[in-house]
Order: sequence, then C-alpha cells, then structure tokens
Amino acid sequence: MTAPVSNIGNDQTIRLADVRKSYGDYDVLKGIDATVARGEVVVICGPSGSGKSTLIRTVNRLEEINSGSIFFEGQDVHAPMSGRDLNRLRSRIGFVFQSFNLFPHLSAVDNVAMSPIRVKGVPAAEAREKALKLLDRVGLREKAESYPAQLSGGQQQRVAIARALAMEPPVMLFDEPTSALDPEMVGEVLSVMKSLAAEGMTMMCVTHEMGFARDVADRIWFIDGGQIIETATPEDFFKNPKHPRAQRFLADLRH
Amino acid sequence: MIHDMIAIIDEYWLLLLIGQYPNGPLGGLANTLILSALSIVIAFPFAILLAFARLSSYRALRWPVTVLVYVTRGVPLLMLVLWSYFLVPLLTGADVPSFLTMLATLVVYQGAFLSEIIRAGIVALGQGQMDAARALGHSWFGAMRYVILPQALYNMIPSMLSTFVATIKDTTLGYVINVPDLTFAASQVNNQLLTQPFQVFLILALTYYVICWSLTALTNVVERRITRRRAGLGPRRRGEIALPLTPKVTEQL
Amino acid sequence: MKGFDLAAILGNAEYMAMLAHGIQITFVIAICSWLLAMSLALVLLAIRFSPGRIGNSAVAAYVSYHRNVPTLVQLMLWYFGIYTLLPSGIADWLSAHSAEMVFAIIGLGLCQAAYFSEDLRSGLRSISPGQMEAARALGHGYISAMRYVLIPQGVRNALPALVNHSVSLFKNSSLAIVIGAPELSHAVKEIENLSFRTFEIYLIGTVLYLVFSLIIMAAGAWLTWRADPLNGASR
Repeated sequence: MTAPVSNIGNDQTIRLADVRKSYGDYDVLKGIDATVARGEVVVICGPSGSGKSTLIRTVNRLEEINSGSIFFEGQDVHAPMSGRDLNRLRSRIGFVFQSFNLFPHLSAVDNVAMSPIRVKGVPAAEAREKALKLLDRVGLREKAESYPAQLSGGQQQRVAIARALAMEPPVMLFDEPTSALDPEMVGEVLSVMKSLAAEGMTMMCVTHEMGFARDVADRIWFIDGGQIIETATPEDFFKNPKHPRAQRFLADLRH
Repeated sequence: MIHDMIAIIDEYWLLLLIGQYPNGPLGGLANTLILSALSIVIAFPFAILLAFARLSSYRALRWPVTVLVYVTRGVPLLMLVLWSYFLVPLLTGADVPSFLTMLATLVVYQGAFLSEIIRAGIVALGQGQMDAARALGHSWFGAMRYVILPQALYNMIPSMLSTFVATIKDTTLGYVINVPDLTFAASQVNNQLLTQPFQVFLILALTYYVICWSLTALTNVVERRITRRRAGLGPRRRGEIALPLTPKVTEQL
Repeated sequence: MKGFDLAAILGNAEYMAMLAHGIQITFVIAICSWLLAMSLALVLLAIRFSPGRIGNSAVAAYVSYHRNVPTLVQLMLWYFGIYTLLPSGIADWLSAHSAEMVFAIIGLGLCQAAYFSEDLRSGLRSISPGQMEAARALGHGYISAMRYVLIPQGVRNALPALVNHSVSLFKNSSLAIVIGAPELSHAVKEIENLSFRTFEIYLIGTVLYLVFSLIIMAAGAWLTWRADPLNGASR
C-alpha cells in the first residue's frame, strides 16, 4: 500500500523513502514514499490525526523517525551527523509553525535578522537591511519595530514567514500556517504563500485550506492513517478522488 | 523604651554598620549586604549550569543535580553551614575565614534553589520557542543564548529579587559559625550592655525588616511591570491560555 | 583523623539515646508550632476576608513583619528579649518548664502563621470571580458559597505551597539550636563534641533530616494528588 512515487527527472529536492515512526505501540507514519521536485508546491491534506504534522516535522528533523530515510538535496537528513551539520542543514529548510513561535522578546525586524546574524554570521547591518526588505515583501515594513504581541495573528505569521525566508532556504515547509488564525486573517497569509509559490519556491504545506490547494498546489498528497493513500493534481483530486477515504474527506469538507 | 533604643543606636551605630572595621574585619550590616550580594552573583551562573544539567537528556548530568536539589530542599541550612564549617578547611587545607565558609554554603544552597526557578522558567516558555530556533538552524546553546534565556531570565527577575531577600535572611545563620555580620554585631552590643536585650534585638529585627521590606516592595513593583509587559507583549493566539508567571520557589527562612 | 566508622555512633547506646531524644524534641517543636501556625493562619485569614480596615491593616502588618524579619532573629527576640520582659512569676514557671522549647514553638508558630495565611489567601484569590457569582446566582449565601464552593478550591490551590512551607517549618525547627532547645541539630553538635566523629554524626543528622523532609514532601504530593478531582478524591 505505498503511494506511487513520482519522479520528475533528477530534480528532487526532497525524497522520502519508507519513512516510519511510532510512539510506543501507535504507528504515526507507516511507510511514506514520496518526492518533491524543485519548484514544486505540494499540499498535504487529510483528516486530523492522520500524521500530516508529524510527517512535515520529520523533514527538518524536529521529529526523529524509526526507520526509512529522508533526503534533502541528496543528503540524508536522519543520518548520524554532528550537531553542527544538522544546524546547517536546518538553516536551509524554512519552517513555518502553526503557532508562529515568534520570539516575543524581539521586535519584528530582530526576529527576522537575529538568526542570519547568529547562525550564518551575516554582519548585523546587512542582516537588518535584508530583514526590512523581507518585511516589506510580506507587507509589514511599517511594523518592523513592533513586538510580536503588538501584531495580529496574521501579521505574526507573515513575520514568521519572513523570518524563515531570511535564511535563504531553497525550500519552505508550512505546518498548518493558518489554523491558529481568525478567519479574516487567513487570506493575508495565504496571499504571501501564493506569491512565494509564484516565484518558484519549493514548498510543502500541511493545510486545510482547500482553495489554496486548488489554486496553488502542483500536487496534493492525501494522508490517512499514517500513509499517503492518494497523490494527484488538484484538478484530479477535487473532481475525481479515487480512494473512498479521500472521497469521504472531500464530502465532509463540503458540508 | 524608645528612648533606650535611640540611645543604643546613637552609641553603637558604627559597630552595627561596619563591625570592628578598620580595627578588625568588616562586619555589621555592610558585611551582611556584601555577603548576600556576592552569594547571589556567584550562585546565579552556577544555577544556570545546574538548570541545564537538570534539563539535560543525559542521566549522568541530571541525576547528581537532582540529588543536590533534593538535599538542599530537605536538609536545614543550619546542617549545611555546619558541614561547610567542617569540610571547607579540610578540603582547602587552610584556615578559611568564616565569611568564605558562609559564602560557599549560600552559593550551593541558593544556587540549587535558583536552578529550580530557572528550570521552571525555561519549561514555562514551552517547546515552540526551542523548535522555532532549532528550525532556523540554531544550535542548542545558540537557542538557549539568544532565544530561551533572554526571555526566561527576564520573566524571572522578580524571583531573583525575592531570592536576594531570602539570602539576606539566610546570612543570619552565619551567627552559628561567628560570621561578623549584623546579627553578630547586635549580639556583641547585647553582650556589652547586658541589661537591654529586648531593645537590642528589636533594633536588629527592625533593621532587617526595613531592608527586606524595601526590597520586597521593589520586587512587587518590578513584578507588576513585568506582568503588564507580558500581558501586552505575550503571544496573542486563539485559544491561548495565559502562562503563569514563573513560580516563586524561594526558600523561606 | 580517625577512619570512617558509623558504628562508633550507631553502636553507642548513649549517643543513640541522645539522638532519639533530639528527634523527639524536633518533632514536638515542629508539630506544636505547625498546629499553632495553622490555627492562627485561619484566624488571620478570617480577619482578612471580613470587612473592617483596621483588622485588615493589622493582619497585613503582622504578615509583613514575620515575612521580612529572619526567623532566627525572631527567635532571638523572643528568647533573649521578650522572655526577660515577662513578669517574674511567668518567667520562673517557664524556666522550670523548658522555656527554650516553648519559645521555639511560639516563635516558629507565629512566624509560620504568616506564610500559611498568605498561601491560603492566594489560593482563594486564584479562583475566578465567576465561581462566587455562580454560587450566589444559585442562591448560596456568602458563607455557604465560601464553605461549599470557594474554600474547597482554595485549599486545593494552596496545597503545594502549604506543603513546601510545612517542610520549611520542619527544617527551621533546627534554628532552635540558637536558643538552646535540645532538638536534633543540638544533639548532633553534642555528640560531635563528645565523640569527635564529626563526619559520621553530621552524616547521620543530615540523612535523618533528609528522610523526614522527603516523607513530608511525599505525603504532601500524595495529598495534592488526592485533592485533584480527576484522581477520584473524596465525594
């Protein structure tokens, strides 16, 4: 019961091979095989508890796995490696959290600039200048000196995206980036994500926003019970889901 | 009565303030404050290391510190003072002034208590901050240095201040090993006067009261400011539950 | 230095009798002052929660004094100071009835009452105002609402702090050494003077204190666990 592995040339940015993870007796991931090509936007959807968030967290090794492997640009993310190498690897994979996790003691611009300075050794002035550009890009230039608590949820999440982009990662992972937002703020975050996709960023997004999936995704992975049980283009997935559980999932969404 | 007390203060204020100095070692209130401040300054970095050890995933680091914390929580400070008085000269092979013996005791004792405060402060921040920092490529120490500690330590300022007050009160135990502090000076005064013990010890109590009360009042002001700041600056998410301020685990003595 | 030999203490009937007596006195002081502290704390709390400015300020001053003056100094003031001011009849009676212990109990008890009453007060204050409103809306009077709704929750909230401070009280009983009460640490010092086996007797004393403290902590943790309605407490 493995999902078909799509191979778009050798242009794979991320490849997951038989990834398995369990918490005690409970199997969260039961053998995931999949690839993400450079420039591709993959949306991961599925019912809650299906393992989506766990899956995306294994890609930058915020979660360990029990077996299988995950390759990022040919490098095995879960191979034994020094802490230094892991940090370097993570700094090249952007990650956006459901709960933003902005650093509350730092202003917006410092949230964005701090890690380039401390992790990559970028000179402070240069990092700040770039941070301001990134804030401009997410439409928050004028909020640069605000602290996270002075920002709305949508603004915080846009700062978090800018913060991840500041490390200049070739790929961005989004873990339910709009689930903690009030409905009126979802749009502003999605539009930033859309513009990223339009610029050719490689993206993996766990999300319930089916409109976003339809408009932006190149492919959809439907996960249930710790397995990818369907991968399809948005067109096929929404018009013509093959797996009964995917059909039920979509039917439930429409209600 | 009040007349007696004013007369005692008038006669002995210098002794109560600085002890026998400059004809003998510095003592009195000055020494009490120096001893307390030094204890906290040294105990603080020590406590951060202990907190790291207790949060560590290595049992070899976690265990000894856990034992130390329980020993300091379960054994009277008096016993620890006696131990230091016995062990410090034995280990150093020198005749160590009682001031240093008391300093060593307080550093270990308050270090263990502070480490619990720091640990609680770090835990209260939640996993999200660490995850976010690690996802950006920070090392564990980098995440601690730039993300976790600046927040945790800021939130803990009130607890630190109340630890300082607790330490001032703890220094009185130096009395049993003749540390020349304020309590010691007062008992010297009492030994010279012999006839007015109540007045002398009331002066002593009131002096401690004024100092500790002022510091406690300062602590409360700082705490209110931090709570307000956190209320304004804390994360404002849907369904967010307000985090409690770092619990005060200071020892009362 | 002599070699390490616990048996030199543990095998000596005289030392063991001294230790046993010390433990006994420590417990008498700790238990009596705990009872005194808790009863006084409830009185202080009742005054705090009743109207009347003077009573409230008096309690606040009481708490402030006892929390900001070192316990050791409070004991010294009682024993070296207040003792001498008492009418000679009472003073004589006290000196014939181990005054050191009486003053240790009074000093520690009065001091601890301030901590206990504050623990209970903050336990009560951490309950949301909605609880009182809900109880009043259901027709409970003030007393009834306190009795059946607020106090059970308040005590539960205060339990961890009360346990911590009970451990402190037990440890602070050792301060009575300064006024000459023959409690455990006093016995330890005496045995040290007689035997010159400092290491051994300190070790024994430390282990004894630690074990008793751990028992209090464990009992407190059990009580706190029991008091949580999710763990099937009473009712």
